[in-house]
Amino acid sequence: MRIIDGSLGEGGGQILRTSLALAAVTGEPFRIERIRAGRKKPGLLRQHLVCVEAAAAISGGLAAGAELGSLTLEFTPGAVKPGRYSFSIGTAGSASLVLQTVLPPLLRASGPSEVSVEGGTHNSMAPTADYLAGCFLPLVNRLGPHARVDLERHGFYPAGGGRATLAIEPAAMTPFDLLTRGSITRTRAVALVSNLPATIAHRELRTVQTAFGLGRDDSEVREVRSPGPGNVLWIECVTGGVTEMFTSFGEKQVRAEEVAQRAIAEAKDWIAADVPVGPHLADQWVLMLALAGGGSFRTGAPTEHLRTNLSVIREFLDVSISLGEVEEGRWVVTVS
Amino acid sequence: MIGIFGTVLDAAEGPRRWERWRPSLSLCQHDDLIVSRFELLHDARSQRRVEALEKDIRSVSPQTTVVGHQIDFADAWGFENVFETLHKFATSYPFDPEREDYLVHITTGTHVAQICLFLLTESRHFPARLLQTSPPRRGQTDRAGQYDIIDLDLSRYDRIAARFDKERADATSILKSGIATRNAAFNHLIENIEKVVGVSRAPVLLMGPTGAGKSQLAARIFSLLKSRHQVKGEFVELNCATLRGDSAMSTLFGHVKGSFTGAMKDRAGHLKTADGGVLFLDEIGELGLDEQAMLLRALETGRFFPLGADHEVESEFQLIAGTNRDLSELVAQGRFREDLLARIDLWAFKLPSLRERREDIEPNLDYELSEFARRTGRRAAFSREAREAFLAFAQSPEAVWARNFRDLSGAITRMCIEADGGRVTVAGVEAERRRLVSAWRQPGRSAKSNEEILNSVLSTEAIAGLDLFDRLQLAGVVEVAKRSRSLSDAGRALFASSRTRRSSTNDADRLRKYLARFGLGWDDLRAR
Repeated sequence: MRIIDGSLGEGGGQILRTSLALAAVTGEPFRIERIRAGRKKPGLLRQHLVCVEAAAAISGGLAAGAELGSLTLEFTPGAVKPGRYSFSIGTAGSASLVLQTVLPPLLRASGPSEVSVEGGTHNSMAPTADYLAGCFLPLVNRLGPHARVDLERHGFYPAGGGRATLAIEPAAMTPFDLLTRGSITRTRAVALVSNLPATIAHRELRTVQTAFGLGRDDSEVREVRSPGPGNVLWIECVTGGVTEMFTSFGEKQVRAEEVAQRAIAEAKDWIAADVPVGPHLADQWVLMLALAGGGSFRTGAPTEHLRTNLSVIREFLDVSISLGEVEEGRWVVTVS
Repeated sequence: MIGIFGTVLDAAEGPRRWERWRPSLSLCQHDDLIVSRFELLHDARSQRRVEALEKDIRSVSPQTTVVGHQIDFADAWGFENVFETLHKFATSYPFDPEREDYLVHITTGTHVAQICLFLLTESRHFPARLLQTSPPRRGQTDRAGQYDIIDLDLSRYDRIAARFDKERADATSILKSGIATRNAAFNHLIENIEKVVGVSRAPVLLMGPTGAGKSQLAARIFSLLKSRHQVKGEFVELNCATLRGDSAMSTLFGHVKGSFTGAMKDRAGHLKTADGGVLFLDEIGELGLDEQAMLLRALETGRFFPLGADHEVESEFQLIAGTNRDLSELVAQGRFREDLLARIDLWAFKLPSLRERREDIEPNLDYELSEFARRTGRRAAFSREAREAFLAFAQSPEAVWARNFRDLSGAITRMCIEADGGRVTVAGVEAERRRLVSAWRQPGRSAKSNEEILNSVLSTEAIAGLDLFDRLQLAGVVEVAKRSRSLSDAGRALFASSRTRRSSTNDADRLRKYLARFGLGWDDLRAR
């Protein structure tokens, strides 16, 4: 039995999600120990349990120790069954975390699948469904398969009530390299508001427009219908190879301009780094390349998340992944 | 989860309600808590708002099933009504603690409801733990806030349990005058007394031979009650054997001026003096029948008539009675009232004799030494050899300790006073040993006659068949054997002088052979 140390590196839910995904991909069981050891609330939380349930559902797997606070979990996957799945998670974690868990095995499945998740779709602690749709999945599709997220209803924390559906058509995956960023062909910004005054969105966009010299055509206010209040701003930078997205969340008692500055700072860091793959994308993208069996990309200094994900991938898959600093602050990750 | 719908905090409408903290909703928003079922108690008027809350709970926590219970308090601030209503809910609810874990949410509802929920949980009508919620702190992005689970089983809290243990240890230490006694039976007895006097105001009866420490224990019980603020009054001690005639009544219950010859002025009497405190009546078996009747009435009603008084006097006191006699035997002889005995022997404790607590002699020796120093301002100490010699004697069957701690205390005090330069020597111990043994040998000291001793081990026919010579010797041997811990112990005591002159020193075997001549074994002496 493969044993994963859940307290390694970043030591959070990422180790668990990657392990679940790759166990389902390989059909091999694993035991994860010391889950989130040393955290204030150690062990499995609700948001982790929904991922375990989803992984078990699509792979006909069995999970022992899937309880709140459990420090050890043993997961034995069965055969991955493509098809229609629906999970209701409430506001425990985020829909995108569940979708990220089931995406790798379903990309390798024998047929198309459709996975709906109801609950939170936009949570500051996870990638948004818009990020999956606008940044991550287009890259996945370049590997060969066809995957798409439809956001039927937004679900903001704390009210939830959203619904996102991931449609996957598997195909052979052909790796490619993302070594140069190329020039940014377009920068645009989107501000979402739900049950809040639209002026918040306008103020955020005005701040982004000033920072990047955007025209009105490149900024969009979206007033969306959702059970609760919510405000999300993101900046999209489109290049030849990749569309990177930088997201920030409106918060009570934080001015709209400040919310905008957070996204602007992240975008500027990425632009200054002159690498195609930003830090958030890097740790998810390496998993896709590992599934494809090759490829490389250039990114900034590796985050703890990236390193942790690499070590979990190496545990499950027979791939070699190298990580090297090619220039100061610019690194190349190569999968072979 | 069982909780009351909070008509103020839980009720909110419009999208902005999500910006507010709602306690019942927050329970279903925690990342480390899954509420499978939420039994939500509400009144008829809240029906619609409860349905709205249910919908919100479903949105944030699809794993939670909300079950509404319409309960209407006639008066949500009336204790009796709220308690009754919640009690009815608790007793009719099909709890299954083997399979389910219950939490009672006490943050919502009126304060009266919260108190009732607490009481019903504490009394295990709700076999649950309490749960308290609080709103998110300023700047916290997590909207669920905090929750705390309070388990009313206080033994689960290490620090609280440690504090209780210490309190109990302190209390038993007070009762033992700080002496680290080792006798398990005695220590158990003290723990029981500590438990009883902690919760009951009923009379306590201390039984035991003269000098076993009844009087001292009574005083220590008073100190304990005083330290816990359970008594306000005085400790009043009286030996009933000293009461005679008219003055007996007067001493106990008081009198008014002129009630009898010599009653020059009012006298309060011991019962009144002990009001709010502790009255210790030692040798209660010696109390006259008239006084017994008065005492019984005073215990039952808290009132009594002083001698010659027209009006009753009130006094609330904790009675501790002491006796070295078998009170039920006195009842049989008509010398003690049965109803009074029934009243005072609810909590009866038998103090063991010093002979039965040989392992406590050493800690008591140290206690007496420090007491001596405290009383006289002079320190006295035993040389190592003297201490060993004294303890060896004190724990041997030769030491009868006829008057128990009184003898021990007296012996130590004498040795200390006679010690040159405050040093008790082997010679001093030897002199005291001879003094004690001779005092215990005096006629009349022996509690039982030779006849009684032999009757306890042999049949009348068997005794009749013995010469007086053998009867006298056997009675002495049996008496020593009976207070010895083992056959070897008894042998050592009986053959102490000759053993130094013999090459073989199997005293036990010698004793066994002697007893066998009368058809007696070691067990025969112990069993009866």
